[in-house]
Amino acid sequence: MKHFVTTLILALTTLCGAFAQTHINGTVTDGQGPVIGVNVFVVGTLDGSITDSLGRFSFVTRQTGELTLRASMLGYEDYSTTAESATLRDLDIRLNEKAASLDEVVVTASTYSIGKSNQIKTMDALDVVMAGNSCGDIVAALQVLPGTQKVGENGKLYVRGGDSEECQTFVNGMHVLVPYSTNLEGQNQRGRFSPFLFKGMSFSLGGYGGEYGQALSSVLPMETTDVATSDKLGVSVSLLDWNIGGTKAFQRSSLSFNADLTDLGLYTKLFPDRCDWTRPYRKLSGEAQYKVDLSAKSVLKTYAGYDWTSVGMLTEGRKLSMQEHNVYANATLRTQVGSGCTLFAGIAESAVLSDIDDALVSGDHYHNFRNEVHLKVELQKRFNPLLKMSVGVEDYIRNSVKTYEETGYQLDYHLFAAHWDAQVRIVPHLFLNLSARGERVSYNREWKLMPRAMLSFVPNTRFQASVMAGRYSQTPEDDYIARGRKEIRQSTADHLILSMQYGSARTLLRIEPYYKWYRRLPLLADGTCTADGYGYSRGFDIYLESAAFLKNLTVTAAYSFNDSKRLYLDYTDLRTPEYTSRHNFRLTAKYALGKVILGLAESYASGRVYAAGTTPFYNSLDANVTWLLHPKVIVYASLNNILGRTNIYQIRPDGTPVGATRDRFFYIGIFVSLKNNKAYDISNF
Amino acid sequence: MAITLIASLSLCHAQDAQMGALIGQSLSKLQEDSSPEAFQTCIAELKRIDAMYPGSAAPKFYIALQSLNFSVMNPHAEQTEALMAEAEQAIAQLEEIQQTDQSDICTLKGFLYMVRIVQDPAVNGQRYYLDVMNYYEKALKLNPENRLALQLQQKFFEGMNQR
Repeated sequence: MKHFVTTLILALTTLCGAFAQTHINGTVTDGQGPVIGVNVFVVGTLDGSITDSLGRFSFVTRQTGELTLRASMLGYEDYSTTAESATLRDLDIRLNEKAASLDEVVVTASTYSIGKSNQIKTMDALDVVMAGNSCGDIVAALQVLPGTQKVGENGKLYVRGGDSEECQTFVNGMHVLVPYSTNLEGQNQRGRFSPFLFKGMSFSLGGYGGEYGQALSSVLPMETTDVATSDKLGVSVSLLDWNIGGTKAFQRSSLSFNADLTDLGLYTKLFPDRCDWTRPYRKLSGEAQYKVDLSAKSVLKTYAGYDWTSVGMLTEGRKLSMQEHNVYANATLRTQVGSGCTLFAGIAESAVLSDIDDALVSGDHYHNFRNEVHLKVELQKRFNPLLKMSVGVEDYIRNSVKTYEETGYQLDYHLFAAHWDAQVRIVPHLFLNLSARGERVSYNREWKLMPRAMLSFVPNTRFQASVMAGRYSQTPEDDYIARGRKEIRQSTADHLILSMQYGSARTLLRIEPYYKWYRRLPLLADGTCTADGYGYSRGFDIYLESAAFLKNLTVTAAYSFNDSKRLYLDYTDLRTPEYTSRHNFRLTAKYALGKVILGLAESYASGRVYAAGTTPFYNSLDANVTWLLHPKVIVYASLNNILGRTNIYQIRPDGTPVGATRDRFFYIGIFVSLKNNKAYDISNF
Repeated sequence: MAITLIASLSLCHAQDAQMGALIGQSLSKLQEDSSPEAFQTCIAELKRIDAMYPGSAAPKFYIALQSLNFSVMNPHAEQTEALMAEAEQAIAQLEEIQQTDQSDICTLKGFLYMVRIVQDPAVNGQRYYLDVMNYYEKALKLNPENRLALQLQQKFFEGMNQR
């Protein structure tokens, strides 16, 4: 009996324990009101509930004794408390907002990103092709952005009062010596890369970190697409170019090729211009890419491209004739070498060979060969969500040969650089980027150390403000180094930029005032070159992008004011460079109407100041239409300068105005996918 | 576009049996009730399981998957943006785990972009269409037996044809 009673007591105790329940309840707030949808639970169990519209929660757990209760919600710090189960009643939990970490914040100051990214300004390759007046040219498409300058006689990128050489291009982090296709003086030059090569571009107008150097004004880093997942083959035809491209996809790699022939012969016959061509502009290009995913965290990308350009024209009694060979190749490896640690290694080769007959007078010959090898290694480490660092070294090995009649030079030098970058969240919402770059040039053994810093205040996802300051350097062009040798030092530019940005789901507004001080610019005097030039550039950019006006309509407006003066090259006094305009304004609109996309672009630039006078203002109204005719066929047409204004780009010393060789430019192209499992994908590369 | 609930078991093979049972128990409730409230409860339970096994991939995978399942069925619901953010965070956490099946990550990324298209086909269709295709293709290249990727890819094609 005694045994039975003991057994019964034990059984009852067990049963009571089995059915013992603790009721846990309370309210969750964040200081401003109740928080809905918070996951409140007992750690180590499934017991819990979600807060209701009043922030209330209530649930029952069979756990007894000391429990850990957690309240969790995205965007807030986790709340945890450990206490006796019986005391977990009528709780008043207050959650603290979680400040964004480095991984969650993208500071966009002074940078416009194109491609798939979290950054605000997003265009993909098709957007570049469809941009109002670009005709598929990346450089022309970027000129709808503020800070860029309209320089019609060559079409290159001029940024915030800087010369075109002050903007440098990088493909997968590796430098491109000549990123433009060539043309005769006064003729428009295009970027040499197809927009379809890239998945993202990040156009920085100044204030960039230590990774990039040898650019006084701006950098254009572009990232090629990832390993292709399917085979592609396609062709495109227009009045001036013919293209074929394809990709073969393998298990973990892909091989692509692209061939393009541009010939303005037919176009010039159909739409004559004001030039007397002896040989129409012809460019033959070939490109190949091989990309392989070595592992889930390692990718090897290789690219090789070759352009041959030929053109001839009759000018001032001379039979000007030019040929150019332009080779660019690079190979990069990016691999994860440990937790949060990434190693990057790359090599790039650029070689450009140009020959011009009747360059300045009949019977003369100009020859120029430029070569650059760029080597780079970088290690990036993410220590925690609040600190990232990177260190890297690179070397530019350059040589060039130039001959003109009996004169010329041969130049060999290299430039070694090392950089260190750190990104840190100082306190919630306040971020600091610190970097330093050191460079040594071999021709005068000059060392240069350049500190750079950016402080950003990011209180929420809509607003951010940054202030940037830093020193940037660049070797002068080869001609000036050859003339100055040891006397010529690297030019420097000190940037001070303030950036304020507001972005909602459909609207972006950015305002950026800036000031740049130039020092040691090349200055020509008595046949030699010194580093005694100097100058400044100041102004502000305003950019507005909105899709809020009308369904399917996206509008952008960009205004730039620039006040720039410098003493450099053959200037005898401090004056405004010829390539700058005080006011630049661009307005674009894109409207999707079913399978037809209409684009309109208006560009205005105030007159440019030359010694012999000031040019009239530049104005061009451009329109384009893209017709998604069939999932495998896209038709694109554009007309630049609809109003037919004769734009003047230069005033010669004798007062003669030099303008565009044609007032309007019409383009129509058809893009056909012969093999592609994706509709409306005109990228074959 | 409704996506049926698919439990990809590949992730659970090497995982703790108890964790697998808890996940199964949580997911099974959705078979009986697939209301928005049931989804939220299920996702909340999966997060509790994730707190129990913080280094494991499986709970994170299902948090992302169920968040996206809810979002694709309720593209404009009040909770959808928060759940999309949950899915993005879970995918980012999965990428940090060395052993995670890359095919599963590609599938989830493709699904994420697919939901974005469902939310706003006119704007996001052109922007994300190729990403969806590429991620599903890559997922199937890495693992041709990935049933979830196959089924989602098929649903995507059906959705595109309807447009």
